[in-house]
Amino acid sequence: MATTADTFQAHQEHGRAHHDADHKPGFFARWFMSTNHKDIGTLYLIFAITAGIVGGAISGIMRAELAAPGIQYLGWWVQLMGGEANFDANLHMWNVLITAHGLIMVFFMVMPAMIGGFGNWFVPLMIGAPDMAFPRMNNISFWLTVAGFTSLMLSTFVPGGTGQGAGIGWTAYAPLSTSGSTGPAVDFAIFSLHLAGAGSILGAINFITTIFNMRAPGMTLHKMPLFVWSMLVTAFLLLLALPVLAAAITMLITDRNFGTTFFDAGGGGDPILYQHLFWFFGHPEVYIMILPGFGMVSQIVATFSRKPVFGYLGMAYAMVAIGVVGFVVWAHHMYTVGLDVNTKMYFTAATMVIAVPTGVKIFSWIATMWGGSIEFKSPMVWAIGMIFLFTVGGVTGVYLANGGIDDVVHDTYFVVAHFHYVLSMGAVFSLFAAFYYWFPKMSGRMHSELLSHLHFWVFFVGVNLIFFPMHFLGLQGMPRRYPDYTPAYTEFNHLATVGYMIMAASMAIFFVNVLYALLAGKKAPDNPWGPGATTLEWTLSSPPPYHQFETLPVIEDNKAAHDREHGRPSHA
Amino acid sequence: MAAAAPTQRSNAKVAFMAAGFALAMLGLGFASAPLYRLFCQVTGFGGTTMRATESDAALAERLAASAGAGTISVRFDASQDRGLPWRFRPAQSTQQVAIGQRQMAFYTARNNSDRAITGRATYNVEPEQAAPWFNKIQCFCFTEQTLQPGEEVRMPVLYYIDPKAKDDPLMADVEQVTLSYTFHQAKDAP
Repeated sequence: MATTADTFQAHQEHGRAHHDADHKPGFFARWFMSTNHKDIGTLYLIFAITAGIVGGAISGIMRAELAAPGIQYLGWWVQLMGGEANFDANLHMWNVLITAHGLIMVFFMVMPAMIGGFGNWFVPLMIGAPDMAFPRMNNISFWLTVAGFTSLMLSTFVPGGTGQGAGIGWTAYAPLSTSGSTGPAVDFAIFSLHLAGAGSILGAINFITTIFNMRAPGMTLHKMPLFVWSMLVTAFLLLLALPVLAAAITMLITDRNFGTTFFDAGGGGDPILYQHLFWFFGHPEVYIMILPGFGMVSQIVATFSRKPVFGYLGMAYAMVAIGVVGFVVWAHHMYTVGLDVNTKMYFTAATMVIAVPTGVKIFSWIATMWGGSIEFKSPMVWAIGMIFLFTVGGVTGVYLANGGIDDVVHDTYFVVAHFHYVLSMGAVFSLFAAFYYWFPKMSGRMHSELLSHLHFWVFFVGVNLIFFPMHFLGLQGMPRRYPDYTPAYTEFNHLATVGYMIMAASMAIFFVNVLYALLAGKKAPDNPWGPGATTLEWTLSSPPPYHQFETLPVIEDNKAAHDREHGRPSHA
Repeated sequence: MAAAAPTQRSNAKVAFMAAGFALAMLGLGFASAPLYRLFCQVTGFGGTTMRATESDAALAERLAASAGAGTISVRFDASQDRGLPWRFRPAQSTQQVAIGQRQMAFYTARNNSDRAITGRATYNVEPEQAAPWFNKIQCFCFTEQTLQPGEEVRMPVLYYIDPKAKDDPLMADVEQVTLSYTFHQAKDAP
């Protein structure tokens, strides 16, 4: 990969001050009518952190309830929401909590942070583009996402059948989401997915156009940084998967309100069809959540090993392969609906195939570190943590891919442990790695390395304590989506709740660190991470000028760089 | 390729192509409802039984007679939606049938409520690999059934097992096929 700052010879943006480069509009126009990719990226990150606090607080309510067998706190929450606490209303409250937690974390935390936040900020910078291809559409994407979140929050204040709010799980399976939940709450929740989905599709179109059309001269596809590759693959997954979800949930809406029977056997429909459609979207969706993380970890591991990433082309095409195969494995989420043996066999084999490109990535990260000059700066420890914990989740994924084993552990806490290892550790660790990696670039201030490391270790202990015991609970048969359990499961559940408290403490360290950096942090240099940080964003000031690359940087190819080095030996 | 100038391809063109992909996937999402039904009817996926005409049945009978097919056991199963106040049972629990021969089986349904109710039966067979060979000539599941308050009816199923099932390796160890129906309250389909 020759896309290095060393060979970037065009001009130094801040060295040749363009008199328009730092002209910023007023507060309202800048933040509410923004068309600047960096400002929109910042808005997305603030939004994702806000939604993450809400979604994380909801998981706190759930862990408190699960700390001991029996129903402890749900009635209190029902009354707080203006309902009357009784057995059914309490259980409905639980369904509302798991639904909100899932939808918020998937659609309003991980996706906005990865794609809207870091994608918007760094895709244009890394490919040497002045902005996204469609800056106004970028603004629409963001505000559609906010509107979607608002719709989901509103759903908790209106009736949803058994009680207030939509208690349908993030999967919104029919018939629970159709005839099983009267009242407008479920319509609000579904509409929230329509809005967020529309925003994401527009964002995907924007990224695809930007990456295809706006790369700096000389930046061929095979020279793009891996984070940009990951965003390109993610954008295609969004583009092809989200419309299918839109179709499925639109059919839910018409089944609920307009008398159609797409998913109702009484009218000739089939509820299983909804599951097929949902997971045709849902499986690519889990790669949408992790692929950008793969890209971030690739940048970070290369930076702090002071080596180009091992097997660049293999890394890029492994992501393409994961994206393609991700579309033909969806029914492994529905092994227990009554698939015949041959279908299960196919989906088991196809699912296991995904372990191959994923293994290529894991081994290439290790090979990048191998023999490298490794510095354990804050982004690097988070990236290594991600590699380790994502692999743990990947191993249980291969285990669950087996149709025969899944019959036993389907919808148990084993599945909960699996997808939290790949998401709330895989995706979230890569988000924190990226945050610490790029925070100095985005804010112009250095965070505290000490607090970042402390955050890492406390968070690491906390999340492992939450989720590792869930493997045991699942293998012992504790089912998902219930607020109560037999006392035999008490110890591990109690341990998980203690883990939640430790994790919550680590988040306090995170926010202290951010405040410290913003109020008292040292001024960040253009490139705080040394010669390993070779992508174009490190050639700009920290924070970058409001408009960058008005004269496009020219990326030389390997041979030209090599000739120049050897033609002018004194240069080195 | 050297330095692709950003103006070579227009942004709008790429964006419209991408939007076209998205719209195509949206269309496929909606098209999946009829396509899914068609797919199951054609392939017998998920235990969807086949529909046959009288002449198909006659042909199968001649084929079975010439090939000397054996017998197979058919078990009958019935259930109804939780909200449907019907009593729905098979009149016989099993039948030993000659492969290729037309067979008649009966189910009885009784409306225990004090209002007329129209029901619609969904159906499948287990094991699912038997579905492509399980042919129905007549079935109460082909149409909606309306029962008056307290009315009890006997409902026939006229079916045969295709003799070609003997050549299907997946059917080699199948000794019994279960035919299952579930009655739902009919909704006015769109």
